[in-house]
Amino acid sequence: MSTNLNIEQLATHQEQNDPVEILRVALEHFPNSVISFSGAEDIVLVDMALRIRKDIQVFSLDTGRLHPETYRFLEEVRNHYGIQLELLSPDSRELEQLVRTKGLFSFYQDGHKECCAIRKVAPLRRKLATVDAWITGLRHDQTPVRASVPVVQEDTAFSTPEHTLVKFNPLANWSSAQVWEYIRDNNVPFNELHRSGYISIGCEPCTRTTLPNQHERAGRWWWEEEAMKDCGLHVATPEPSRPKPAEVA
Amino acid sequence: MTTHIIMVKKILADGAPCRKCREVYERLQRDGLLQHIDHIVTADPRNPDSEGMRLAARHQVSRAPFFIVRDKGGNERIYDSFLRLKREVLQARASTTEVALDLAERFPELDYI
Repeated sequence: MSTNLNIEQLATHQEQNDPVEILRVALEHFPNSVISFSGAEDIVLVDMALRIRKDIQVFSLDTGRLHPETYRFLEEVRNHYGIQLELLSPDSRELEQLVRTKGLFSFYQDGHKECCAIRKVAPLRRKLATVDAWITGLRHDQTPVRASVPVVQEDTAFSTPEHTLVKFNPLANWSSAQVWEYIRDNNVPFNELHRSGYISIGCEPCTRTTLPNQHERAGRWWWEEEAMKDCGLHVATPEPSRPKPAEVA
Repeated sequence: MTTHIIMVKKILADGAPCRKCREVYERLQRDGLLQHIDHIVTADPRNPDSEGMRLAARHQVSRAPFFIVRDKGGNERIYDSFLRLKREVLQARASTTEVALDLAERFPELDYI
């Protein structure tokens, strides 16, 4: 790992750079870095990185619940670029325990976090413990949560007192339109689900198509809006009483 | 235990605990840690004077469940993360899933990886 590197300074310097330049800096400063590829339009990261270095590490999280189209696309990427795409699987014991106790669709009742924790976050944490930096396709225009994501940051989620992990988000300042322009201009392969109206692509049971101008968040975990509020500790406001039919008359 | 631990759980309109409170209670039970919880109080959003709602307001906590840990000197610490309570106060080992779940809940940007 690159030592004595000031992450804040690096972030300031890279903030206005184009994605290829940010990738170049990431790969030069952190030879032991890895690209996280979701099986969607972040394919542009893989395409860009391979123009800089041929021996990049790329991984995807195989939750076991992806669309068949996504699995086909992962294989297409592997063949098209001739790379070793590492697929990370959930811990079988943890997964079997979840399915045994709660079934295959517990996320519709209990929320998606527990299932995501087992199928995505735990394998991701395991992988990130072995590298010094990771490169993601996070963009400001994807969700409100991502609106302020910097192009370089210390990863506070996965760093430990013994191991600092750096996170590069080279596409942070790009719009969806710019990403698709790159895909078209460079004949980059893409997930066929995008042709069917999918914007954000995740697991099959938790993803749906969105209408034009709908935020991409509308296509993921759409059932949770109300259900997830039930742990908030805010005083309930009684509903205003409606006039009875007799009073209206 | 040399500390006194209060668990504040929320109840819904039908009297059942909220989803997260139920899950945490089940985990305490499953891990044999329930014995370390000295007192469980209820927060009823329909009643701002319920003990749990008063404690939530006093400690400025906005989500259930949470824990109030009082040491021998009467100092109180608030834990709104079950994982932190489990590790730091109950001195218990957290499972891989519990650690991952805590990360998923604290870092919503991980939703879209």
